[in-house]
Amino acid sequence: MRWSRFAVFVLIVTVLQASLVDIFAVTRLNIKPDLLLILLVFFSIYSDTTEAIITSFTIGFAADIIGPAIGPQMLSFGIFGTLLAYLHRVITIKKFLYKSVAIFITGFLAGVLAYFLTFLKGEPTASNVYAVLFGTCLYSSLAGPFLFLPSAWWMRIKTHRFGRRQA
Amino acid sequence: MNMTRKQARVSSRMVFVWFILIGFIFLLAPQGLTNKFQLAFVHIFRWPLRIGRNISLSARTERVLTDVVSRREHNQLQNYLANVTEELLQKHRKIEKLSKLRDRLYALEGAKLMTADIITASTDGHNELIINRGEMDGLGEGQFVLGDNSIIGTISEVSPRTAKVRLITDPSSKIAVKLGKLETVIQGDGKDSVKVPLLSIKHKIEIGQEIFARKKPGFLDAPVIIGTVEECKRDDANPILWDITVKPVCDISKLTDVAVIIMNPKE
Repeated sequence: MRWSRFAVFVLIVTVLQASLVDIFAVTRLNIKPDLLLILLVFFSIYSDTTEAIITSFTIGFAADIIGPAIGPQMLSFGIFGTLLAYLHRVITIKKFLYKSVAIFITGFLAGVLAYFLTFLKGEPTASNVYAVLFGTCLYSSLAGPFLFLPSAWWMRIKTHRFGRRQA
Repeated sequence: MNMTRKQARVSSRMVFVWFILIGFIFLLAPQGLTNKFQLAFVHIFRWPLRIGRNISLSARTERVLTDVVSRREHNQLQNYLANVTEELLQKHRKIEKLSKLRDRLYALEGAKLMTADIITASTDGHNELIINRGEMDGLGEGQFVLGDNSIIGTISEVSPRTAKVRLITDPSSKIAVKLGKLETVIQGDGKDSVKVPLLSIKHKIEIGQEIFARKKPGFLDAPVIIGTVEECKRDDANPILWDITVKPVCDISKLTDVAVIIMNPKE
């Protein structure tokens, strides 16, 4: 893993997520793709297990920095990113459809856990959170696999090397 | 070989446990402390964040215009907008140069209005803005924030150079208001509107009625408009109360700058 490239990449994506992604917002619920979720799935699939754990928690922290509170997304992204990395040892996630499904399920589960942790922290939560979460995961799962290629190029990762990992 | 694998597995588990611990420390740390990370990020990346927000705002405006007017009219309006924006920018710079007191609302004689640019805006769940003015500019918690000459929220967190604005639409926002002759409180509903809770149906409410923020010593010395009554019906859960929805008079999602009311400024 090229960590300096990773740091720059996460910073750029965090700034984009906090500002420019609003262009792609749809519906009255202001649903937009979650670039950090896409990155989480990308690194969970295309990194070694230890690297996947570090990147998952780091991306979660970046999501918290631009989110309502620090902690919930770091934990939820970290847990589900790690689970996905372990799952990738037994299931190959190579096809476009599988990548989409991985993004959707990881995003939804991580979102529900983050919502629960935010609630535990005593922060106010939106009433229509599940509709927004569903929309965001769906949008991210559709756009995500297309962003894997530029991400792999930037990180100098050869995606064809990563099939099912040996446990 | 097996030994190496075992060591690697233990190592990744340890990494996971350490990160989980760090995550829980952040989760349990006071919000005031962790907010400093967010404000620092916004401060460091304020330029790209502002540029990105301006681009997305202009893209949205463009999208709305093409939906309702012809291309020719759209271009004319775009040119007009560009001219007016430039003129506004020049005036803004001139006022800023002449005096740090940027603008005054006639009703707020003793107050200083500190204009601030919006760096980031969040409307998903937490309705808040981060602005490019902070403690060093005289900002403090609880101060009222104006957008298009109407109250849009209050300052909830301040750092030396940035501040967080809790919008009136945030569920944790409660502001004392005047609705006709009635004195009550409004609370955000987490979406685009505000509710007037616990108001008995014996009070007469009209659609379109204006709601003003009440005077608050040290923060506001004249009533300022917040919104208008959009919907008024009996509360389904408690029929002796009204379920009143208030629409803010300012379209907060299209704001690029705001003004903070600083009563009794030090300068």
